[in-house]
Amino acid sequence: MSDQTQVRLLYRAGALGIAIFSLGPILYMALTAVSVRPDFLSPDAGFTVTAAHFVSVLRTTSLHFPEYLRNSLIVSGLSAAFCVAIASPAAYAITRLPLPGRILFLLCILAVSLFPPVSMVSYLFQVMGNLGWINTYPALVLPYIAWILPLSLWILTSYFAQVPADLDRAALIDGCSRLAILRKVIFPVAAPGIFSTALLAFIFAFNEFLFALMLTTDHAARTVPVGIALFEGLHGEIPWGVVMAASVLTTVPVVLLTLVFQRRIIQGLTRGAIKG
Amino acid sequence: MRLTFSAVSKTFLSLRGPVRAVRGVDLAVGEGEFFVLLGPSGCGKSTVLNLAAGLVKPNSGEIRLGGRVVASRDGKVFVSPKERNVAMVFQSYALYPHLTVFENIAFPLRVAGVTKDEIDKAVNQAAGMLGIGDIREARPAELSGGQRQRVAIARAIVRKPALFLLDEPLSNLDAGLRASTRSELKRLQRELGVTAVYVTHDQTEAMTLGDRIALLRDGRIVQTGTPEDLYERPETPFAASFIGQVPMNLVDASVREEGGDLYLRLGEARLLLPPGPAARVRSIGSAEILFGIRPEHIGIARGTAGSPVTGTVTSLENLGREVLLQVRVDGLPLSVLTNDKSIREGDTVALDIPLEAAHFFRKESEP
Repeated sequence: MSDQTQVRLLYRAGALGIAIFSLGPILYMALTAVSVRPDFLSPDAGFTVTAAHFVSVLRTTSLHFPEYLRNSLIVSGLSAAFCVAIASPAAYAITRLPLPGRILFLLCILAVSLFPPVSMVSYLFQVMGNLGWINTYPALVLPYIAWILPLSLWILTSYFAQVPADLDRAALIDGCSRLAILRKVIFPVAAPGIFSTALLAFIFAFNEFLFALMLTTDHAARTVPVGIALFEGLHGEIPWGVVMAASVLTTVPVVLLTLVFQRRIIQGLTRGAIKG
Repeated sequence: MRLTFSAVSKTFLSLRGPVRAVRGVDLAVGEGEFFVLLGPSGCGKSTVLNLAAGLVKPNSGEIRLGGRVVASRDGKVFVSPKERNVAMVFQSYALYPHLTVFENIAFPLRVAGVTKDEIDKAVNQAAGMLGIGDIREARPAELSGGQRQRVAIARAIVRKPALFLLDEPLSNLDAGLRASTRSELKRLQRELGVTAVYVTHDQTEAMTLGDRIALLRDGRIVQTGTPEDLYERPETPFAASFIGQVPMNLVDASVREEGGDLYLRLGEARLLLPPGPAARVRSIGSAEILFGIRPEHIGIARGTAGSPVTGTVTSLENLGREVLLQVRVDGLPLSVLTNDKSIREGDTVALDIPLEAAHFFRKESEP
């Protein structure tokens, strides 16, 4: 066996190992979702395919899955929209205006984002309780914006920094105001960056669990991750098939989004990681 | 439109302390004039251009455009680029990558709210003048460097600016294209009759394009004048060495008065100064001077027959039509341009230095 073949073999074995390790649970989830019995791996169970779990996730009104999904989409969508709307002008100012100590500013922002959410959740619960916002959308959207904004700002700053400053100067001379430059030149030119930032913000909010668990009480505002975790069967047992079917349904949109836009997302993440 | 600067200064603040980019610049660009700002990199020429455009605010002094004060720190006036009706061509072209050629050229008109019909007419006219009518629908990424340059120029002229600013617009083009675009720019500026301010570090561009040139160094104007003035009557050693295809020779020399006549001592040679040059040397009022002579003015012949100045050829560069020789005269290095291609390295040569064409500078006189 030549060296090259060996390398190739090891490379493939490694890739396969990582793929099995990462995708195994997801495969297990998908199989459980379509199996009549959740313990299909035990010798006496056997594997029979069924769509019953999916039907009951969507049809059983007491599970409130469609409401959870709606809540998730609204909360994540609002959070992403606000994050991008706030972060874009901020990133523009950081990259274009003569701000003294902009690096320090960016580092402070980063420091804020490093607070563990668990350290704030009890305080947030009190605040939202006093405001009477528990179990409403703002109770989730506001903390999500605060939590995702630093990341959005970092990613957008690195994107905007790559738009040549001569474009700004040309647009200024062509008669644009600063805001018009942002709208007519920077946004279109940095559109891929803005799009991937919004997508990342959406996925972050969509996957969030802790705040959603603490700040919502029922299907009026509860999001999918928490909703699924709190599914209960008729007699208090955990309905694994339904839980897994709901998980599959929740994962599909995120997986599709990620697959379709994967190159842009990776670009966005690595840019945010290595450039300031 | 006339453009005047009165004692304009600009200091940038950086982490390493203040950078005095422009220091008390006075200049006056006449109506319809092609004015060139020439200087080495970092001399402040681009900052002067940005001050004229309104992209940078001066720290002191006053800028007027067509008689109207557009920037004055003391008078608390600052007119934004938008209201100055200036156009600018950048070294990087600065085309909007997401817009087509047509939309790029139309951009300033759309921002100004011009009607669609007028935009179509103006864009077609500008594109026609620059011969880019056939690439209207292309995007900047699909264009060659020369085409991008043309689009940038079309965008600048489309709204009939009062002042046309060009920041090293030819630097990114290859040599052939640079020469042809240069003459086209000049033609265009003449046709439009627009006042133009052109920034470059290339003295050839400055000499060929400029009606007048301002030579800058360290944020100050060293000398302003026609290309002829700068070439024939440089006021400082810096101006003398910066202008000219091959830099002027500048060597130390001394003068001695003997019986009413002035003699120049150049190495071992002793040359009688004719009345004209003698008067100029006297006005310097020092015995130790800097002697300047352009390489193209020195005559050269092989052998040493009867010549007071002789030297050895140390190196030789063939420029095609001419040969550039480095000649060592009593330890002094002199460049000489000649058509005589029979001269070889190591030859002993006689130099004929026409003192009428020479320049004399005070020795310590920097810029």
